[in-house]
Amino acid sequence: MIAQRISLNNLLAVVLTLAAAAYVGWKVSQAPNQAIQFAFNGLSVGAVYALLAIGFTLVYSTVWFFDLYYGAAAALGAYGVFYLRSQETLGGLYAVNNIVVNVLFAAVTAGVVAWALHASVYPRLRSRLQPTVLRGMLGLLAAGAGVYTGVVLTFPQELHVILSPVLGIGIAVGATWFLYQAFQGLVAGRVLLALVAVSGVAAAALGAYCGYFVFNAPESKLYLSWGVSCMLAGVVGLALYRGLYVYMRERSRSPLIMLVASLGILLAMTAFTSIVFESTPRPLPEALGSEPWTFAGATIKGFNVFTVGVALAGFLFLLYLLQYTSFGMAVRAIGDDEEVSKVVGINTTTVIAAVFFIGAVYAALAGILSGHDTAIQPRMGLLLLLKGWIASVVGGIGNLHGAILGGFVLGMIEQFGIWDLAGEWRDVISFVLLILFLSFWPRGLLPRK
Amino acid sequence: MRPGSEQIDDHYVIQTERISKHFGAVRAVRKLSISIPKRGLTSIAGPNGSGKSTLVNLLSGVLPLDGGLVVIDGTSLKVVKAHENPVHGLTRTFQEVRLFDQVTVWNNIMVVLSERRLFPALLERVNPMQRDRARGILESVGLWEKKDALAMNLSYGQRKLLEIGRAMAMEANIYLFDEPFAGLFPEMVEKVKEIMNRMREQGDTIVFISHNMDIVRELSDHLIILDSGSLLEEGAVDDVLSRPKVINAYLGT
Amino acid sequence: MQTDTEHRTSLLRLAGNPRELLAAARSNLELWANLLIIAWALGFMLWQGVGFAISVGTVFAIWAILSVSLNLVVGFTGLLSVGHVGFFGIGAYTVAILTSQAEYEQLRTEAIPTFGWPFFAALPVGVLLAGLVALAVGVVFNRFRDDIYVLVSFGFAIISFNVFLNWRGLTRGAFGIHDIPRPQVGGWALSGELEFLAFVLAALGLIVLISWFIVTSSFGRVLTTIREDEEAIAVFGYRTTHYKLAVWTISAMMAGLAGGLFASWTSFVDPNSFILLESMLLVAIVILGGLATIWGSLLGAMAFVLLEEGMRFLPFLPTIHVGQARLVVLGILLVLLMLFRPQGLVGRYKL
Repeated sequence: MIAQRISLNNLLAVVLTLAAAAYVGWKVSQAPNQAIQFAFNGLSVGAVYALLAIGFTLVYSTVWFFDLYYGAAAALGAYGVFYLRSQETLGGLYAVNNIVVNVLFAAVTAGVVAWALHASVYPRLRSRLQPTVLRGMLGLLAAGAGVYTGVVLTFPQELHVILSPVLGIGIAVGATWFLYQAFQGLVAGRVLLALVAVSGVAAAALGAYCGYFVFNAPESKLYLSWGVSCMLAGVVGLALYRGLYVYMRERSRSPLIMLVASLGILLAMTAFTSIVFESTPRPLPEALGSEPWTFAGATIKGFNVFTVGVALAGFLFLLYLLQYTSFGMAVRAIGDDEEVSKVVGINTTTVIAAVFFIGAVYAALAGILSGHDTAIQPRMGLLLLLKGWIASVVGGIGNLHGAILGGFVLGMIEQFGIWDLAGEWRDVISFVLLILFLSFWPRGLLPRK
Repeated sequence: MRPGSEQIDDHYVIQTERISKHFGAVRAVRKLSISIPKRGLTSIAGPNGSGKSTLVNLLSGVLPLDGGLVVIDGTSLKVVKAHENPVHGLTRTFQEVRLFDQVTVWNNIMVVLSERRLFPALLERVNPMQRDRARGILESVGLWEKKDALAMNLSYGQRKLLEIGRAMAMEANIYLFDEPFAGLFPEMVEKVKEIMNRMREQGDTIVFISHNMDIVRELSDHLIILDSGSLLEEGAVDDVLSRPKVINAYLGT
Repeated sequence: MQTDTEHRTSLLRLAGNPRELLAAARSNLELWANLLIIAWALGFMLWQGVGFAISVGTVFAIWAILSVSLNLVVGFTGLLSVGHVGFFGIGAYTVAILTSQAEYEQLRTEAIPTFGWPFFAALPVGVLLAGLVALAVGVVFNRFRDDIYVLVSFGFAIISFNVFLNWRGLTRGAFGIHDIPRPQVGGWALSGELEFLAFVLAALGLIVLISWFIVTSSFGRVLTTIREDEEAIAVFGYRTTHYKLAVWTISAMMAGLAGGLFASWTSFVDPNSFILLESMLLVAIVILGGLATIWGSLLGAMAFVLLEEGMRFLPFLPTIHVGQARLVVLGILLVLLMLFRPQGLVGRYKL
């Protein structure tokens, strides 16, 4: 019975794929230049979907519930860039700077930093310092981070000035840590210390140079705003998990509870965005590679190539993280069985919080990239979220390789699908594809093992 | 009865012919052929993972067959449909008690007593006959006082009894009980035994899965022992339990 | 210990212990919610006069029909559908297209034929069409559950919105359809607000009656068991797919009816009334009022309308933001409900 059904499905798959290939082949033979154009478009749209699907898959395959905040994160990323750049671009036509928003994000950041310090630094220093002193210091640090975020959001014109010291210090510390890790495998003892000291000086110089470079380069503000938006989206994602979902999961294991709660969050955040920015579409400023290139009769923007690159890099980074680090092992263990991972001593709350952070950063990045390509509006988050879902269903839900494949497949099918239809039917095409997949191949192209 | 299937015997109420079921690479039931005699108590035993629950799920149509044939009450079926169970006069309970949790005890029983067809069901209201039936069943499993409680708020033993009561409400001829005694206090065990004996006296067929060999020996007439999805032995209880294969399997492990 | 002393000590404990007081209040939350919302409604009416009640009453009735109908699917059958706005739109557009009296041929924009049917001829067509679409969609959707069901129902809402927006030969796309007449009984047109309110309330009464008839029948009982354990109830001889399809279709037809009323009331229909956000809003209203109770849906719709109207009087909130601000409040309410009261205010089913 099952065997018969599977073979029927396979038959259907083969027939449909052949039909699609024949259609595309025929179209290509009719107008090869246009076909190249559609393929380019499919790739660049697919890259955004792939990015969404990767992050979504990471979160979904860890906690196994649909988190609709993910869509809000995409919108948050795009609107974050708009918020930080609105005063200087387009003649300040749509300039927005809202004290409520600034305070809100400052408070959330302070809270998240406080939690992060409490989870990471506090246990290590508890034995060395008095608890009150330690708590006070950490509290001050967290408050400082909050104030800093508020300052960044309040004075976005000076983004390069405000961020350059932090960036420089970050690069210096990061480089030192990286070199320390690298040397550790080679030498030990005093030699190691000496090497680290020397390289520390070099890293500090590198950090100072980078900071100075950014300081003197106002054009870097756009890309700094990307980073700030992604961070903010990630921070909010983490705050939602730690502040809300943890308690909900303690009360009920029903995935629908979490889904409805995150639906409420998405609803509230979308409406709030509409209040602050109005609900009409807005443009994002031009980013790198906005000059169209002509290639075999088709035009393509450098930015689209960059998007594809970001999607691939994001995929490789996550693959590395999941396969080769202890963090990745913990994530996979939690995805397999959360209770057991808790028993074997994995701090599940911290790991899942980090997963929510990373997932939201990916969503925000996808939102930013798609926003630069088209335009942004408050509703975009929900649609991007749904596309990410569809891509991950098409690719095979819960499988990272499937997610990136599904994203590109979805992008291609959408673009070739609207060749004969008008462009506005592409959402319909992707949902029809979703229903086809769910009905006949619910496990997707690359099923999770 | 179908022509051409000579093995089908009026003496047996359920027969399976080389049925199998696999989950991925795991073959839970392998070309299993068993026969369950009409009337009386038949028990199915075997170690964990030997396919007992899968067998019951296959017989009641909860899982689709991968291959083989099931003959229930003279009808041979390649596909067992869950919603046709009442046609064959078959009902069951589940190993992991599956009640309608956020529904009252009363409605858990009433739903089994009411109309199956769509449009008549829309018009049907509770009638006195159903009310008496439901009351009788709830009283016989000792849950009459709890009739307005939600099923999720009952204790484990009460849930188990309610599930048996729900099966009784079907007025079936064939009852499949999946581990009815597991996790029950002794007085509850006595109660379930009593219910099963009453059913036997009415001339029904009862099939139950149990690990407890004392209960099996005490209650059942017929015994089927499975091992890794295949039949180890079947026959009268005392006979089966004295066979060397069974003694080896049970004492050896 | 004697009973009366026991009683006294427990009362004393209750008075002195805020936590227990809170628990006692929570156990009576249903009562408080009912009283509060009704008092709120009455207070509003006293403050703003009866005219206010008439203008808000129609909005309430249309939302109430929608939420009662969706509760049949979400609360009683346990299928969390976020696509209900599609059926609402089908009903609205059918009535709009069939009854519109505008001569589109003379306009420069998209032209569609003018039918000029009477309202009472068009409404049954709209309801039936919503039912037929629901039947077709339901056959496909029946195999999905839980979160996948939510995903595909999102899909339905988006597809129907795109059809309303992009099938310009039928719906005039973003231009919308105008000049939709009010219903006419004999020679008497329900043109006044009060007359129309009475008509809509009668329709709401009919819907409540039908829903009550359904949920108190054996059919309704089967729906609740499908919600709890579909596989288990199938074992007892029910073809669950037929039941799910039936309730889904009935519910969609009710939504279609609400759509027809809506079109006739506003006299103008465009795709912006049928966006996905509206559908999410509807789900929020159903959950807020209470799952698996008809009264809860009425209460939820009333609370929502009062919330919206109440926010108009907030001094610090500009009027243009009220439409969005109610979504913010409702979204936050939804989160709080999921945290503390997953069955909604007066619900009978916890998600």
